[in-house]
Amino acid sequence: MSRLAVRNAWSAFMICVAAACAGIAALLLAIIVLYVLSKGAGALRPTFFTQIPRPVGIPGGGVANAILGSAEIIALASIAAVPIGTAAGVYLALFGRGRVAASVRFLSDVLTGVPSIAIGVFAYALVVLPARQFSAVSASVALGIIMLPIIVRTTEEAVRLVPHTIREGALALGIPAWKATLLVTVPVARPGITTGVLLAIARVAGESAPLLFTAFGNPQWSVGLTHPIAALPLVIFQYAISPYKDWQQTAWGGALVLIALVFALNLAARVALRSRFAR
Amino acid sequence: MKAARIATLGIVAALAACSGQSDSPATAGSSMTLVGAGSTFVYPFFSRAFDAYQKANPGVTINYQSIGSGGGIQQFTAHTVDFGATDVPMSAKDLSAIEGGRNSIVEFPVALGGVAIAYDVPGAASGLVLSPDVLASIYLGTVKTWSDPRIARLNRSTKLPDLAIVVVHRADASGTTFIFTDYLSAVSAGWKARVGKSKTVSWPAPSSVGMKGNEGVAGQIKNTPGAIGYVELAYALETEMTYASIVNASGAVVAPSIASVRAAAATKPGVDPVDFSIVNASGKAAYPIAGYTWALLYKHYPDTPKQAALCDLFHWVEADGQKLAVGLDYVDIPSAVSARSAAALGPCTL
Repeated sequence: MSRLAVRNAWSAFMICVAAACAGIAALLLAIIVLYVLSKGAGALRPTFFTQIPRPVGIPGGGVANAILGSAEIIALASIAAVPIGTAAGVYLALFGRGRVAASVRFLSDVLTGVPSIAIGVFAYALVVLPARQFSAVSASVALGIIMLPIIVRTTEEAVRLVPHTIREGALALGIPAWKATLLVTVPVARPGITTGVLLAIARVAGESAPLLFTAFGNPQWSVGLTHPIAALPLVIFQYAISPYKDWQQTAWGGALVLIALVFALNLAARVALRSRFAR
Repeated sequence: MKAARIATLGIVAALAACSGQSDSPATAGSSMTLVGAGSTFVYPFFSRAFDAYQKANPGVTINYQSIGSGGGIQQFTAHTVDFGATDVPMSAKDLSAIEGGRNSIVEFPVALGGVAIAYDVPGAASGLVLSPDVLASIYLGTVKTWSDPRIARLNRSTKLPDLAIVVVHRADASGTTFIFTDYLSAVSAGWKARVGKSKTVSWPAPSSVGMKGNEGVAGQIKNTPGAIGYVELAYALETEMTYASIVNASGAVVAPSIASVRAAAATKPGVDPVDFSIVNASGKAAYPIAGYTWALLYKHYPDTPKQAALCDLFHWVEADGQKLAVGLDYVDIPSAVSARSAAALGPCTL
């Protein structure tokens, strides 16, 4: 065989290997989704979305309080994390120079890597222990901290991608810097920022570890910010390890709802990004 | 900008409404939320009994989280929950973390149950006979397979497979673990010397799996052929597990049941937070691995209505609540014990 033929054969082989790896990655996701679908679809009766859990060992009931609780915790975490995160991201992209900006960037990257359970314990020590009660607020603090660095870095990247010329054009017309930032640069970057926020929400939606000692769980309806609250990942954790068939199926149903939610958020993120290029 | 400001105001108003909703009912006295945590041993009983109490008392909601006895003591000590529940009373060391120690809390039995030795062995129904020595040897890791002659000798009529024994135990700090290791320490000098009794011990068997809560142990046994583990009787009965009969101190082979746990408790009519163990009870009908769950309350709560509500709840648990126990696969606690609990609680008028 000629040298070239060997090279071509080797190249073709490696492409096949790479394609197979890509296939495995896609296949795994497909298997997970199909498996959760097959196990959990049966749990998604109407009562799943409308009723609260029954006492142990009594079949029926639903996880409506956990769905509502998760929504409340995530909404509250977003209300805190989105303004801070986007503002920090804009600062890093447009004004951050030198050591301060570099340290913020570095710390934010480190924060992304901190295990979520550690953040949960932090929220327990910071909020739960002084207040002497488990609460929805403490859970939102934990989730907000997890969301923050994701929003900071995606916002920074999105704002950086806005051409300087647009901003300079605004400044050249005599518009103050703050106005140029808020009314010219940020709107152009908005699809990217939205994507970051949606991905941050998707990241925390399935977190159970930081909720164990903050939200604590609640078998009843509860929306009070200063009371223990139910959350979907907690219910999945509790029910999945239980010996009760009915609960195990409910856990699969909860997992299915979470996957559907994350899928929808990712889809929304894509749509948000695409609208940027459609302009 | 104006729209944004209105939106912000709306969010603030919504938050205020939420927090208002959570605070006002408690202070108004029309609604009260009691938060408790601890024992998973008692969880099926509490879950169903509290549901009955809430139906009879619509103003009260109870949120009990089964995080294990150790977790219950910890959160009770940290004042993050209103009451705790544990299957082993607080030790002197536990109490030293509480201001005022034993004098500032009330500790009394609320439930009575057996610890079933459950297993998943293909071809074996409930009722495999285990002697204290064999059970200790399994957990010490010296009996490694189900076909071991020491097990076979006790179960001549059953053909046991040549399957490795997987020992399942609790991973969290557990009162059920205390009851079980208390029993093993009482019957096996080797266990007492090497491992001892505690809410958490270092498990000597090489092929052992730790799981969280009675729930986790029960789930693990059901999903692992060859597994053996200890769970509260209600878990074994309600999830149709197979479980062993144990040779007791009088040499009788006894299966865990309402009657056999009741017989074990009857051998010790007076239990208190210091002298509480009822394991290795003798008598033809007594099941040797059993124990009480203890409620943990403070003597004084800053929130007076909450104190009254807790007092009422636990008086109910000691009286009407015990009538539900047998239907939920627990044993109603002896009347002498519940009378003393009610006396410890005192009158609820404040």
